[in-house]
Amino acid sequence: MSDMSDDNDYYSDEDMFDGTQDEDESGDEMELDNFGDDFKVPAKDKKKSYEVDYDSLSQQAVEKLMARDINHICSILGVEVDTASLLLRDQKWNKEKLIEKYMDNPTKVSVDAGATLPETGPPPPAPLRNSTSSSSQSSNRRTTRGSKMLGLGPKTKSPTSSPTISHHVPQSLKRASSKKAEDFFVCQICFNDAPNLQTLALDCDHAFCTECWGDYIVSKIKEESEHSIRCMAEGCALVAPDHFIRDTLLPAPGAPVGDVERESQNIAAWTRFQELIVRHFVGCNRNLKFCPYPSCTNTVSCPSAASKASLASTVPIVSCGARGIGPQDQEISKSQQLGFGLQGKEHRFCFGCPIESDHRPVICAVSKMWLKKCADDSETANWIKSNTKECPICQSTIEKNGGCNHMTCKKCKNEFCWVCMGPWSEHGTAWYSCNRFDEKAGVDARDAQSKSRASLERYLHYYNRWANHEQSAKLSVDLYAKTEKKMEDMQITSALTWIEVQFMKKAVEEVEKCRTTLKWTYSMAYYLAKGNEKELFEDNQRDLEKAVEDLSELLESPIEPDTIPTLRQSVTNKTVYVQKRNEIVLEDTANGFLEGRWKWNVAVDGFDDPEETVL
Amino acid sequence: MNLMEWEVGIPGKVKTAWDGGLYKLTMSFPEDYPSKPPKCKFTPPLFHPNVYPSGTVCLSILDEEKSWKPAITIKQILLGIQDLLDNPNVNDPAQSDAYTMFKNDKTAYERRVRQQARENIPK
Repeated sequence: MSDMSDDNDYYSDEDMFDGTQDEDESGDEMELDNFGDDFKVPAKDKKKSYEVDYDSLSQQAVEKLMARDINHICSILGVEVDTASLLLRDQKWNKEKLIEKYMDNPTKVSVDAGATLPETGPPPPAPLRNSTSSSSQSSNRRTTRGSKMLGLGPKTKSPTSSPTISHHVPQSLKRASSKKAEDFFVCQICFNDAPNLQTLALDCDHAFCTECWGDYIVSKIKEESEHSIRCMAEGCALVAPDHFIRDTLLPAPGAPVGDVERESQNIAAWTRFQELIVRHFVGCNRNLKFCPYPSCTNTVSCPSAASKASLASTVPIVSCGARGIGPQDQEISKSQQLGFGLQGKEHRFCFGCPIESDHRPVICAVSKMWLKKCADDSETANWIKSNTKECPICQSTIEKNGGCNHMTCKKCKNEFCWVCMGPWSEHGTAWYSCNRFDEKAGVDARDAQSKSRASLERYLHYYNRWANHEQSAKLSVDLYAKTEKKMEDMQITSALTWIEVQFMKKAVEEVEKCRTTLKWTYSMAYYLAKGNEKELFEDNQRDLEKAVEDLSELLESPIEPDTIPTLRQSVTNKTVYVQKRNEIVLEDTANGFLEGRWKWNVAVDGFDDPEETVL
Repeated sequence: MNLMEWEVGIPGKVKTAWDGGLYKLTMSFPEDYPSKPPKCKFTPPLFHPNVYPSGTVCLSILDEEKSWKPAITIKQILLGIQDLLDNPNVNDPAQSDAYTMFKNDKTAYERRVRQQARENIPK
């Protein structure tokens, strides 16, 4: 820890760490968001180079965006809202393309979208070659389109919209329907012939009973996640507009209470349907991305990361604003609000790639390459290697289950560093070379065999450190629980109040954050081409790693009532230092991308090919 | 008796290579029929470009994500499959034996189909 002297100089001019400051501020610091303010580094108002601008949108907000597009189309093309919605969905929400195509051939565009019937000729797909009918064209009945209904219109309407008349209606039924068409109807799907059977039909007049429609729509939505639901008649390509689906699924106001289970299932399907439309809209828009966390319905808008080229210089880590796992409307517990433990985790993800966590400072292409390599190479041989190690003295197998890298063998009491396996005594000194691969080892690797061994070893060097930080970050759940307990103990054994022990929680959060950064710096270092830039990168990496390990060790140390003030002081100091070091790594790396400073030892999308292949 | 499992026989159309045979097919209706189509499977599997080696029939109207509609009747399905026998869809092959023979050697294919028809004459 002797090298900390210059670190102390580093922030000695910031006088915000004396205990009294907290006391003064604790009054208005009670707000959950604010109690960490004394840890914040100044100049927070300025956007950091490693941050991106983005907006988080709720499902309602996205629906508003959709409505705006739909209204726009309505006014330009002069069509109904539902038609505009179907047209846009069919054209992947591309307004310009839709307008252009529609101006060219309005009939074709609307028929293709399933919004209107083809004017002449048979319905488009006729998959049954031998079938001469559009089948269940039931009878000459008029059915109210789309609204909750009713089938008993007094007028009969000839089925002009259908080119042929069914051959499948039994003679008896034909006779019956010709005699008293108004009150005799058999649903051609379930063959229910109850009088007053409620029926529904789209503009094509293919009428079926409401129950069959309901089952079909629910099954399409639930099982197939389909939002484009076509008429149930064979070969009919008309798509059910939103209001039709709503009226079918939702009970009419004032309607008698029917089957409760069925109704709740229908309501769930309607909710899902709306979500599917929103997802389709979001999926078609490059500026938007749906939150990947389970059952979260938020969307993030990040236009600055929408192009592929921008991903070579920015790492668009965004957060949808929600926390925790589970339905959005669920009451958030106190500990979740505090962001404590996994339950309260922010929904943080990358806008540019499918990685569902923070992979800063490394750009998407490199992270992806690294993860693929790890999945290919590390699965078998390296799992054991990365999860257990042998004590360098007595060879006992040891699994690290939390805490810092300072290990003490239970059996022989040997103290060693978990990362380099060297004696711990060396780590207390100014030099700390745990994060660097010894390139000298490559020099005497002359023949191919030793070369391949060196490359494997090199990979394992980075992989082990990467996996080590990942493991530690995973174990932070335990650390959270342990720390929470410690904080309680502190409040009992000392005079500190709840607000004053929050420094522990803040420190744990910071450690976890930095471990994530550190983890990814190893994947970056693995692919960085040798040179001064890499050296500087690894210097920053080393400083951060050292600081994180120190803080981690402090958090693991036992609590003695008389040392709490000192502990508090040093944890607070360390936390700020670690936070600064983390910012430095993130900022410098991000600036490096913007300035085009980084060179890779492999080909990376959006970069020039490496000049030479140096491992 | 299981109402959800049907055993049906499809006769080959007259004046085609399939004439004379009665091809046995099982139809398995899912729980949510008619929202979902029945599964149609020739037992034993048939020599035909659009029949999978397992015997399952590959036809767009039998695919819930393609042209299946709840209003399609069983009669229509069976007529559709009967029609498919003599009019295979080369764009959607399901087994390689029948498909390659149909593409490369129509005469050998016809011979093979006639032989299959003879093997399937109802007793």
